[in-house]
Amino acid sequence: MRLGKFFSALLLGGLLVTQPASGKVFLKVSQAELPPARAMGVSDLVFVWPVGNDSLLSKANALGYRIFLEATPGDLSVVADAAEKTNAVGVIFDAGNLDSSASEEVLRSAQSAHSKLSFLLLNPGGKEPQMKARLVVDRDGILQVSSPTSQPWVDSNLGLVRFARAFRPEAIPLYSFHWNLSDALRKKLGPTAEDYSLAISEADAFRADVILDLHEGLQKGLAHNEAEAWALWNNVKRYVALQSVESAPGMPPMPLANTGIVTNNYRVSYEGINMMARHNIPFVVLRPADLEAKRLDGLDMLVVFSAPSIAACRVLDDFAKQGGIVVLVNLRGDFPWHSSEPIRRNVQSAVYNVGTGQIVEFAEPVIDPEVFSRDMRRLMGVQRSSLSLWNSLTTIAVPYREKPVGETILNLVNYALEPEPVQVQINGHFSSILYESPERGCCQSITPIERDGFTEFVIPALIIGGRVHLKPTVARPQL
Amino acid sequence: MRWNRMLLALLIVVIMGIPVVGISAQTIPFVHKKRYAMGTVYEVVAYDAEVARASAVIDKALDEVVRLDTMMSNYKPESDLSRMNSTAHFHSVQIPADLYKVIQESLRYSHLSDGEFDVSVGPVVELWKTAMQGGPTPTVEDEARARACVGYKKIELIPPDRVEFHSPCMRLDLGSIGKGYAVDRMAEILRAGGVERAYLNAGGSTMYGIGTPPEHAGWTVHLRDPSNRLDPQVVLTENSVSTSEQTAPSALEGDAPGHIVVPASGKPLRTRYAVSVVAKSATTSDALSTTLLLLGPEKGEAVIKGLPDVAAIWISREGEKTIAGRGLHIFLKADSPSIVEESNVENKAVTKPKQN
Repeated sequence: MRLGKFFSALLLGGLLVTQPASGKVFLKVSQAELPPARAMGVSDLVFVWPVGNDSLLSKANALGYRIFLEATPGDLSVVADAAEKTNAVGVIFDAGNLDSSASEEVLRSAQSAHSKLSFLLLNPGGKEPQMKARLVVDRDGILQVSSPTSQPWVDSNLGLVRFARAFRPEAIPLYSFHWNLSDALRKKLGPTAEDYSLAISEADAFRADVILDLHEGLQKGLAHNEAEAWALWNNVKRYVALQSVESAPGMPPMPLANTGIVTNNYRVSYEGINMMARHNIPFVVLRPADLEAKRLDGLDMLVVFSAPSIAACRVLDDFAKQGGIVVLVNLRGDFPWHSSEPIRRNVQSAVYNVGTGQIVEFAEPVIDPEVFSRDMRRLMGVQRSSLSLWNSLTTIAVPYREKPVGETILNLVNYALEPEPVQVQINGHFSSILYESPERGCCQSITPIERDGFTEFVIPALIIGGRVHLKPTVARPQL
Repeated sequence: MRWNRMLLALLIVVIMGIPVVGISAQTIPFVHKKRYAMGTVYEVVAYDAEVARASAVIDKALDEVVRLDTMMSNYKPESDLSRMNSTAHFHSVQIPADLYKVIQESLRYSHLSDGEFDVSVGPVVELWKTAMQGGPTPTVEDEARARACVGYKKIELIPPDRVEFHSPCMRLDLGSIGKGYAVDRMAEILRAGGVERAYLNAGGSTMYGIGTPPEHAGWTVHLRDPSNRLDPQVVLTENSVSTSEQTAPSALEGDAPGHIVVPASGKPLRTRYAVSVVAKSATTSDALSTTLLLLGPEKGEAVIKGLPDVAAIWISREGEKTIAGRGLHIFLKADSPSIVEESNVENKAVTKPKQN
């Protein structure tokens, strides 16, 4: 019924139109020597304030870098003053525990006092992207709990990015994370080329900017022209190069999604959001205030984590009446659809038929995210599952629509860092499918199979990141 | 009885509490590596003074899992298992030694459980997998058709390296034993490479301990407890533990099908239990955990009676537990710290949950 709605590309609130290109990589460096920016392929550096030696910043400038200083609420004005004096281009503001309105206010005031500087808000809660291990290993030993065989858990930043997009739509989300260096070898050698490449691929796939901690050993090795260090970084540069390509500058692609997650609390909704990302359910985050009929066009399902207002309840009711699915997670109230009896009820959930759609109330928060996302897939049904992946429990795929040409772009990130054949099923028909990867460049033609309104194809070996270009089939004029 | 308790308490203190003098976690670095294979994550933690060497040996062990996955994957059309599944019907085909060994072991557990454990259950599992993903529930006819393909007695192994299916639609699925075999192979490689203190984990469901971690006399594993009341534990030293449980039910449809299917009925298993099995090899613990889940505590206890160095624990959602086996220990830290039970030689313990 809603086939094709997926391709009525969501432009939530018209907020993405004027944004600059995203996917930028910032390197957070130590005070050791630096190689030239041109050789690195990255030109934005972040220094933690205070920088012991001011000459370091001028040296970095001379090497071709743009400098950002990192500040906290306690030292923002001092850092901003220092940034101006040292020819830094901007300040990255880590708001810490400040709430979003307070951090906005602080930023606005700093920006008005220092109009030449760029102020970027660092979104808290970034995680090292990885296929997560189950063991908790520390100096006290290993904590291990047995279980039935678990599917790989992926730590991704997609939920964080989509949340930031919803609450600061005018800004490209920026996040950072710390590498886990508890392992002796990793502590000594630093992250591998694959680790850096995964972080870069992820930020590009999610259309966000990321700050990467450059391991001090690698930084020194690069500055001293050590072959091993450059071999590593040259691998990483291929991913930097891929992420910097954008076919229409100034016109970023729009995320395609048919599920809206309504929340104003990232922490409460995180587990559910993260697992939906891992299960490749394309979603956008909506603020509770965004629950207006006009903003829901193109969506098939709404997953609501925040208590809806009376007006929002009416919107949800109408959405279901028109065939949509609404899922309320751990929310209680006297809702309009309670005027009818549920068609199904157990201790964990109640299902109401509303018009041609359904409203499901889950009685508890998301306890088992795996079960939750499987239930979301089940509710969505095969026909409305606009995107499915097989043989790839560690891959996240994120679809976009490129505006000027109407091309669909599917960004893929494989958190296992091992070549995997990925079988994709996507809603719609396409005249050509091209696969672009850092390893093989652009582009390899892929032969699809069309089945029941879907297109299926296989990426032969997705290593870390890749991009599929799907050109729409042009409708032939009627004779 | 009191003396037994005292001895047991002493044993637990020795195994779990007292530091091993002279070996310090502060001085021995550890290496932790992981790899995706067989649809899950394999991990190894090794304490070793020579970090680079240990790291290289772990890589080799993880490479072995990938090699076995390439051989035994049901999802990869080019795997030896897929090739065998499509060509061995009424016609013997040559298979690699590892695949031969795993099928041989599987048949052992099929005989032992009178067919409750059966690697030929694949066609029925496949049928229910679609239902689990939101597809239609299989019809009676679908079930009957799939069930006709199942039956370990129709698998013929022809030494040294050939197999033949005496059924037109037989397809083997090694999901309930392959991970254990892979873990045993990894342990062999790690030992051969000089790694003396390591902990191996296949997706949380099969674990193996080589040697001991610094300052401890074994690798402690908290076992799956669906009641969250008992906190059963094992301490691994040159042995393995595996856990099986039916897939967590849907919050939407409480009776949604799970991934473990009863070969005889062709329907998803309905059970209140999670089962954990301790054994000397991971192949054994992996295969037995599925077998004993299918059999349940009563029949399962009878099966492991004849097996040396195997212990098992069944725990229900309500906290009812059954422990059986001999030679290896499962410790229980009950609600009251003064009550400690264990599986012990020539004995079994069946207890009811405490009434709160």
